[in-house]
Amino acid sequence: MKSPMLVVLLAFVASTYAAALALQSPKFTVSSPNGDQIRSEPISLTKKSSPVRLGPQDVLRVTFQVTENDGGTGVQPHQAFLRFYDNISGEDGLQPVRVTSNGKARFELNMARPPSSFPPTSPDSVLKVSLIIGSFVHKPLAVDLFDLIVPASQPVASHPEEVYYHPQPVIEHTFRPEQKTPPAFISAVFSALVLAPWVVLVGLWSQLSPKVPNLFSLKIIPFTATLGAFELLLVWYWVDLRLGQVLLYGAGLGIVAVFTGKTALVQVGKLRKGSI
Amino acid sequence: MLSLYLILAAFVGLLQAKSSTGDSILVILDNKLNRSDYSLFFDGLEGQGYSLTFRAPGDTTPAIKEHDTPNFDHVIVFAPHTKSFSPDVTPQSLVSSLGKGTNLLLALSQKQNLVNSLASEFSLILPPPQTPLVSHFPAREEPATVIPITPQPNVIVDPDLPPIWFSGIPVAPGNNPLLFPILRAPAESFASDATVDSGADSVLEAADRGGEGLWAGSSSSLITGFQTRNGARATWVGGVELFSDDFAKKHTLGGKKSGNAQLSKDVAAWTFQENLVLRIDSVSHHKLGGSETPEVYTTNDQIVYIAHISKYDPATSSWVPYSGISDLQLEFTMLDPHVRTSLSPVPDTPGEYSVTFRAPDRHGVFKFVIDYRRKGWSTLQSSTTVPVVPPRHDGYPRFLSAAWPYYTGAISTSIGFLLFSLLWLAGGEDKAKTKKE
Repeated sequence: MKSPMLVVLLAFVASTYAAALALQSPKFTVSSPNGDQIRSEPISLTKKSSPVRLGPQDVLRVTFQVTENDGGTGVQPHQAFLRFYDNISGEDGLQPVRVTSNGKARFELNMARPPSSFPPTSPDSVLKVSLIIGSFVHKPLAVDLFDLIVPASQPVASHPEEVYYHPQPVIEHTFRPEQKTPPAFISAVFSALVLAPWVVLVGLWSQLSPKVPNLFSLKIIPFTATLGAFELLLVWYWVDLRLGQVLLYGAGLGIVAVFTGKTALVQVGKLRKGSI
Repeated sequence: MLSLYLILAAFVGLLQAKSSTGDSILVILDNKLNRSDYSLFFDGLEGQGYSLTFRAPGDTTPAIKEHDTPNFDHVIVFAPHTKSFSPDVTPQSLVSSLGKGTNLLLALSQKQNLVNSLASEFSLILPPPQTPLVSHFPAREEPATVIPITPQPNVIVDPDLPPIWFSGIPVAPGNNPLLFPILRAPAESFASDATVDSGADSVLEAADRGGEGLWAGSSSSLITGFQTRNGARATWVGGVELFSDDFAKKHTLGGKKSGNAQLSKDVAAWTFQENLVLRIDSVSHHKLGGSETPEVYTTNDQIVYIAHISKYDPATSSWVPYSGISDLQLEFTMLDPHVRTSLSPVPDTPGEYSVTFRAPDRHGVFKFVIDYRRKGWSTLQSSTTVPVVPPRHDGYPRFLSAAWPYYTGAISTSIGFLLFSLLWLAGGEDKAKTKKE
């Protein structure tokens, strides 16, 4: 069912175009800036030649003739574009080629001054060069010519806000290094050193053997207990309390200390005078 | 059975809709264009639940906006043959309605007209008048200006979309990142005013002029989207024929139905905020291990940041939690981002994105910043300010091994004080002993 329709369609398409276009004697030449020819080869349309490499100053020339059918007369097509396609970036550049009325065309690419339509290239991009020929009266023709390796171009200036439209590089904060602490052993040795005077004190006390006969005197012990409570409050402050709490509890203890201290000191005074 | 399906389909069609920003559309239709030639497109929109108001370009009512308030949620301008518009349709009025959230679907003209001059304000570079897109590929019976295009898939264009027909002008999109090419021109196509082969020289002359002398190849765009900073969308289409019934019904070279109907629906759906619309529902943050949001963070705290994101679902006209963003990033910023980390979706919790990171060891006023912009998608923006303070006086570590000598010193002094006080208070000669002497 489909195939007769397709045949009719194809016949119709064929009839609308006078004839197919053909490419005659395509050829490329690479020459150095001083005019020496580095490479000159006819382009095979069936077998791709090895990639063409251009230096930063080299000149590439491509010549061909567009003819009607194979070996027919030369024609000037509406469109004769060389397409440079970078399959890494997906960018392409189209460069129109001037074709004379007898179909002869000549294209020159000077790498020192590449045309503005030339796509931006990265160091490892290989440009696929193809020729696009289109015409209002002939069947269009697109042929792959060769691969082209050119020096990387300057990076394209993108819009300053373009970066926000892509994931941005991750930023990690560089933290200050942890403070170094001396080994615990050394700290322990120095702590022992701090405690050393106690050895002297206890040694001397053992000679003196001081007595505390009034230790449990009911008038003195409240004051010593209050002093002890002050020390405990400071330890508690170190471990847990805030300044405000310490001042509050300290004030309470202070009032207690005034009375206990007065009683205790009066008692001590009496003891010293020997009135008791 | 078939009729049941039809009823069901009609029912689904009724339920189907709509835009996330509103359903009223003003269509400014050229006098030379018939609504019936675009019936598939317009009826499709009405079937989706949009209310369409048609107006000739010369009419003064209904106005696009009154008292600086837009009258319509969306505006379609299909007026490629119109030279003079009524006074309320000006580039300024279109731009200001865009600024107020009105979405625009605009068809470019091959002649110089209002839409074309507006386009150049949006970094679209247009070819000179009367230079339509031409392609001789592939060989076909249609004129060179009626071009079959196999669309490159992107976020709007479905990968299964069949080739479409296009006729109109290409534009060279500038490097403005708000621009977003939806449909690119085929590689072999170019803009040309010639109709015979001998016109080749004009193409060469155009190319020799440099700059944007030649509109050729896949770098030019045929349908271009633009999303403003406030989230409104404008779409420029190279030729109004894309939406026509002719092109929608026309078969492609392969003999299949063209994708024009689907593409015009997709383009309208994007422009009218049905698709690719996201929003942040809520953000929260707390310390690791806690659940309450603190007023301040301390340097080096482990911070947990959570965002809930929804996507608009046009099928149900509702917002549904969306976990499909894989490249969302969170910045912790004081002037510059100090931390930028990926904010990844939490598995098993739809719409939730979370990250845990250590606060920098610098104090100051920081911001949690989400700034998600991707071409085609609506933007996600969120900023939450939190102070980061150094540790309080009692927030530093205690019982450091390095400070043992100091601790022992302080404790031993205290004990010494107590002991000496005790000796002074409670000490003395034994009474009995004294009396003896």
